[in-house]
Amino acid sequence: MTHLSRRAALCAGLGLGFNAVAGRAARADAAPVKVGVSGPLTGPLAQYGAQWKRGFDLALIQINGAEGGIHGRPLSYDFEDSQNDPRQAVAIAQKFVADPAILVELGDFSSTTSMAASPIYQRGKLVQLGFTNSHPRFTATGDYIWSPSLSQADEQPQLADLAITKLGFKRPAVIHLNTDWGKTATDLFTQAAKARGATIVDSEGYLPDERDFRSTLTRAVQAKPDGLVLESYYSDGALIVRQAREQGITLPIAAVGSIYSPKFIELAGNAANGIYTESEFFPADPRPEVQAFVKSYQDKYQSAPDAFAAFAYDALILTAAVLRQYGTTRQEFQAGLSKVSGVPSVIFGTIKFDPATRRVAGAKTTDIEVVNGTFSLFKGQTATKG
Amino acid sequence: MLSALTPWIDYTVNGLVIGNIYALLAVGLALIFGVADLINFAVGSVFSFGAYIGWVCAAYLKLPLPVTILVVILASALLGIVIERFGTRPLQGRSRIAALLVTIGIGLIIDQLLQIIFSPDPRALPSGLPDRRFTIAPGATIGTLDLLIAGVGSASGLALWLFLSRSRIGWAIRATAQDSEAARQVGIFTDRMNMLVFALASSLGGVGGLLIGMYYNNIDPSMSFNATLKGIVAAMVGGLGSLPGAIIGGLVLGLTESYGIGIFGASYRDLFAFVILLLVLVFRPQGMFQRAGRAPEPLTGTFIAWSRPLRLPRPVQAAILLVVLVLPLAGQPYVTQIGINALIYGLAAMSLTLVAGTVGQVSLGHAALLAIGGYASALFAANLGWPVALTIPLGGVVAAALGTVLIYPAFRMSGHYVSIASMAIAEIVALVILNWTGLTGGSMGLSGIPPLAIGPIDLSDARSTYYICLGLVIVMALLQARLLRSHLGRSLRAVRDDAIAAKSFGLSPSRYKMIAFLFGGFGAGLAGAISAHLFSYIDSNTFGLDLSILVLTIVILGGLGNIAGALLGAVLLVALPELFREVAQYRELVYGLALILLIRFRPQGLLGTA
Repeated sequence: MTHLSRRAALCAGLGLGFNAVAGRAARADAAPVKVGVSGPLTGPLAQYGAQWKRGFDLALIQINGAEGGIHGRPLSYDFEDSQNDPRQAVAIAQKFVADPAILVELGDFSSTTSMAASPIYQRGKLVQLGFTNSHPRFTATGDYIWSPSLSQADEQPQLADLAITKLGFKRPAVIHLNTDWGKTATDLFTQAAKARGATIVDSEGYLPDERDFRSTLTRAVQAKPDGLVLESYYSDGALIVRQAREQGITLPIAAVGSIYSPKFIELAGNAANGIYTESEFFPADPRPEVQAFVKSYQDKYQSAPDAFAAFAYDALILTAAVLRQYGTTRQEFQAGLSKVSGVPSVIFGTIKFDPATRRVAGAKTTDIEVVNGTFSLFKGQTATKG
Repeated sequence: MLSALTPWIDYTVNGLVIGNIYALLAVGLALIFGVADLINFAVGSVFSFGAYIGWVCAAYLKLPLPVTILVVILASALLGIVIERFGTRPLQGRSRIAALLVTIGIGLIIDQLLQIIFSPDPRALPSGLPDRRFTIAPGATIGTLDLLIAGVGSASGLALWLFLSRSRIGWAIRATAQDSEAARQVGIFTDRMNMLVFALASSLGGVGGLLIGMYYNNIDPSMSFNATLKGIVAAMVGGLGSLPGAIIGGLVLGLTESYGIGIFGASYRDLFAFVILLLVLVFRPQGMFQRAGRAPEPLTGTFIAWSRPLRLPRPVQAAILLVVLVLPLAGQPYVTQIGINALIYGLAAMSLTLVAGTVGQVSLGHAALLAIGGYASALFAANLGWPVALTIPLGGVVAAALGTVLIYPAFRMSGHYVSIASMAIAEIVALVILNWTGLTGGSMGLSGIPPLAIGPIDLSDARSTYYICLGLVIVMALLQARLLRSHLGRSLRAVRDDAIAAKSFGLSPSRYKMIAFLFGGFGAGLAGAISAHLFSYIDSNTFGLDLSILVLTIVILGGLGNIAGALLGAVLLVALPELFREVAQYRELVYGLALILLIRFRPQGLLGTA
């Protein structure tokens, strides 16, 4: 597909005529508005940086095409590779802070890395928009540190609704990533599950590079749970469900939304069938912003998008909207974040920050079940026997 | 009764399956160690390479499994030959530590190429085998893939044993391993034997990668790192260079991990591996199953290449000092921050160059000292409210004291054994930090660490931080230089050059090693403490094995024992990746190549060993 027709397809997806685009597109000769990105392009977490890049590039097509740039000036991003290493992230932070052209910074990926750079962004009065940083202390560094990431405080009660209330788990065992994210998620889920009358019979942590879950699963099953709950990413989540089924464990499994990725089904194979999850991002969601994103992603990359691409896409769309509405200086951007509302978002529907926590509340999730190798809408049946 | 046993049958089956893969890696390492006296750190990358070749054959070209295995064997063997011919052979007879570093560089390049070609996303690698489960006890089953792995593991072990003990080429390989000089005298082409061994070892590693990829239906380029680590632990547990030892070491490691998880949970998985390794190294350094007697390695000399240190002429020194002093005044905070990074690495590298170069304890666990210093200073400052100007030196003191106690069991060891033991100790420290939630915050890390300051004066901006680091580096460098020129310095070098001779002159090697570690631990602790206050947030990943490897690389690159070399190495290895930013995802590739070339042409380090 040529560049032109791809853009046309995108615009069709957005419900806009091509002519309107040609009239409004950002002028290539105008000085670009720049944002900085700090994230892993090489090293062990490079897969997430690659997804980000796809999400950003899609957002740029929309921002600089249909939306006419930032008042006619094209938006561009400068992606610096941190390898998710805090030492490189602080150097990148200094680089961005010192470069007056950079108006806002997006990233880094993990809290180890992002939070090491936060003091520099705060001192330099450059907004750090940590769009995957769910660490509860992330925004505590100061008023220039913001996070439109999913709040686990929003998501975990909805996972509990699915697992406990709808599927009927009374004695679930939790298997979780032992990272700041996984630990926060598990604590919040445990609270929410107790409030709904369930007892967590076992909680098993594992490290991010773990591949072999058979012993962990054997251990979890010893506690006689009536269902398993996974606080995992898609790659490790796929390993767990596959190994559980191979081991003959037939317990129903519910997992947090971050397993939502086409890769999950590819890696888990048949074992993915019958897995329950909930996701803020669900490609079959009829909302127009979701459909436009999914369609343009599929046209450009010939594959289905995952949540990390959606996070990145949303973050850049939000950035462009704030720059457009509130002005193209660092201060105006910072002030704009607390005022902005109604920006369309794949994840949240629309975004509005709570100026006190500098986070976005109110993500709504869709309940999902994997049927015949595809993520499908959950039909509301209970899963436990007796 | 039986139902209480069932989980243990599961743990055992699982441990044996994983153990088989560890054994394949360990056998490859043992083979190479036997003939080349080299721990091949590229083993994990060959493992990933095998997995990806397997993916191309099985998932992309849809070839049948036997053909896939054959292609993987051939391709991996070819890769082994390339590694031997272009990587390690040019460094033969130089220093083994340089060769070791080259294998790290090669591993980096292979991983990076895989990432560029196949993308960093994980891929599915279906085995195509029918998924049949056989019940071996009520509730415990074993699958077709488990059997395939066990079969390939034992078959290759048997074939290798027959080859080495019954064939003429096998005899020649064993002769080369025993004494390569003598082997050459009786007409064996030892270069060819080396090449053959690399080919054999690599094909085992590649098949291991293929099998594990199918077992998990999941491959990605970052799987190399863990494979290298586990292979080395297994080989060490079994006794370096021993083939039966490597197989048993692999199985023991697999079972220990599996039972360990059964008892304590997966967050402790590596703890058991490293505790076992440490116990073996301390009590049976020849390996669990080898008889003692033959010294495991030559005691002195060949591990490190000696040369005359290069002295910079005074005007050059003055010019460098001037540049270093005015650098932050250029008004480029980014450059200043790179300077800060280089100084912090320099501080850590100077302390390691003392321990590794001057005393000969080549540590691969230096990051643990930074972690201890960082956590100590952060906790004193954040929890007790002590001033940062006090907690940073305190962090150094805690790192010195605790670090020396921890490394003490390794004082009797030499060569590779010290490196691996210190790596194990560092991993144990990291796991304790992760799991001791009450003190360290566990996986949530420590946040809100106060910034650098003296009393009410805030020193957290880049320029002040730079000058603080520069001041510390200069003071520590002068102290260390003074130490090396003194009577103490001569004794330290004597201990390194020949521990037995030094002992017979009445020097106590352990005491001198302790002095070096106290001094070195202090410097490393300072570096860690400053990092903690600079970042304001640290967790168990901030100071990891990658940092240990980087600091050791800096030290070797600069010239072991050479203070100026450590600083130069730090500047180069911090600045190079920044310079290569333009080439984006090819950055690591260029970095790996630069590393290999530097070592190839200056195996004794840029400024020479001192």
